[in-house]
Amino acid sequence: MVSITEKTMRVIFISCGLAIIIFLAGILYILLSNSMPGLIELGLGPFFAADRWNPGAYGEPSYSLLNMIYGTLMVTLGALIFAVPIGVAAAAYLAEIASPWEREFFKPIVEVLAGVPSVVLGFFGLVVLAPLIARAFNLNSGLTAFNGAILVGVMALPTIITLAEDAITAVPKEYRHASLALGGTRWQTIWKITIPAAFSGITASAMLGMGRAIGETMTVLMVTGNMVARPESFLDSVRTLSAGIAIDIGDVVFNSTHFHALFVAGLLLFLITFLVNLLADILIQRKPEVNK
Amino acid sequence: MMKTNGNVKIDETSVQESAEEKPDQLNPDLENEYCEVKVENLNFFYGSVQALFNVTVKVHEKGVAALIGPSGCGKSTFLRVLNRMNDLIPGTRLEGKVSIHGENIYVSNTDVVNLRKKVGMVFQHPNPFPKSIFDNVAYGPRIDGLKDKAVLSEIVETSLKGAALWDEVKDRLNEPALALSGGQQQRLCIARALAVKPRILLMDEPTSAIDPIATQRIEDLVRNLCNDYTIIIVTHNMQQAARISDYTGFFLQGEMIEWGSTSSIFTNPQDNRTEDYITGRFG
Repeated sequence: MVSITEKTMRVIFISCGLAIIIFLAGILYILLSNSMPGLIELGLGPFFAADRWNPGAYGEPSYSLLNMIYGTLMVTLGALIFAVPIGVAAAAYLAEIASPWEREFFKPIVEVLAGVPSVVLGFFGLVVLAPLIARAFNLNSGLTAFNGAILVGVMALPTIITLAEDAITAVPKEYRHASLALGGTRWQTIWKITIPAAFSGITASAMLGMGRAIGETMTVLMVTGNMVARPESFLDSVRTLSAGIAIDIGDVVFNSTHFHALFVAGLLLFLITFLVNLLADILIQRKPEVNK
Repeated sequence: MMKTNGNVKIDETSVQESAEEKPDQLNPDLENEYCEVKVENLNFFYGSVQALFNVTVKVHEKGVAALIGPSGCGKSTFLRVLNRMNDLIPGTRLEGKVSIHGENIYVSNTDVVNLRKKVGMVFQHPNPFPKSIFDNVAYGPRIDGLKDKAVLSEIVETSLKGAALWDEVKDRLNEPALALSGGQQQRLCIARALAVKPRILLMDEPTSAIDPIATQRIEDLVRNLCNDYTIIIVTHNMQQAARISDYTGFFLQGEMIEWGSTSSIFTNPQDNRTEDYITGRFG
């Protein structure tokens, strides 16, 4: 007979599991309920129109998120261009080349990197990186998409390294042995056999790193300059969707169109992150084809 | 150097009796006699555990040499000594001399990559890469720097024909290798090894993971290949050794108890332990 404590514990644990779903559903509900009035009032068009973000303009306010979407895309893609090669190479090093001693040394460092508060990274970007970038490219200000991309890339690195390393380690050792026995060097084996065999896991690691980068707020708020103009290059100042919400939310009039428009931006971020994570999850489920 | 337990019998026969027993192996200059593989006083250690004891053997060109013995007797370890695959296991150590084509392969300037191109290997479990059939066979030549598509196609065709697989796969070279059956995969692995143009082929229980019909095809293949390659095969299956090999070595607890022509090992073993094993008293 199942005792009463057994049943109680079961209920408690199930509730904790369900809580996760309830939180997520709650967040989605809040986002939808607060953005809907804006979407109903304006329709979808104005948010994606080739226009400006100027909700406070007298007479004809405009609510185009387009420039902020460009900003988010530039910072995110820039971060991936910076972080994926470094992250995958570091993962290959940890999984294939490092001695056990080196692995023991480097892995905690990767974890520490994951724990650095984003405001500290932002401070570093503001004080150290921005002047360097300004001098290197002869700019008035180093607060650019480039700066944000590098720092967000650094923030995405631990995710990419950890997951890519798992994917590389999961490649059956038989493949490596076959390659080495055919006269392959260690480098050829890593580059032509191991990394391709781990490709879906590595892609997933990049996507989860991307999920991390898209929503990042504090660092980009501090280092990208926050100008809501259409960026021409990585050396322009940009404002991302996340920074845009953070900047405006403090002094927006509650339940105004502006307020609802910010929630539309939030909903957009949520949907992008959700899709990216879902895709990454599907890729991770697709284990490397093992011959058994 | 000569020990009493017979594990260095090959030296005795080659020194004293080879003229009568195996005239084809007669060579006046025995010290510098050319051998495909020549192993002298080999001791091998996994950390502090010794896996091979004072193994001495010479393998001559072409033909099939089979290594038999119970599990854990060191026959696979011995095989992996010959292409230095044991290097991948940390903490291994080796004493003695291992020469392939007259060159000691355990000196500091040995080019291991080159060695493995000369000494191919087929593993116990078929291990094709998760790539197409063509790309599997072309892998070796490609990492060697060959890019010419026509030459590659020719090598792939020759190798697949050499492994008796061409007729079954010629119309689907671009399909994934992992879609093949186990026996086909193993022949693909043989073709992949042949594409590197090795001179010696090591096979580590290549049929233990596949069905009897596929096993027979591999055995026929081994008999064909031994006209062009020196094949050293580890097998758990004594009947297989008797069927396909010209020479047989019997390993027990890390020692090579007896080495000789397959017919003499199976009909007239010199050592009691060999006799006990091949008659099925243990193992």
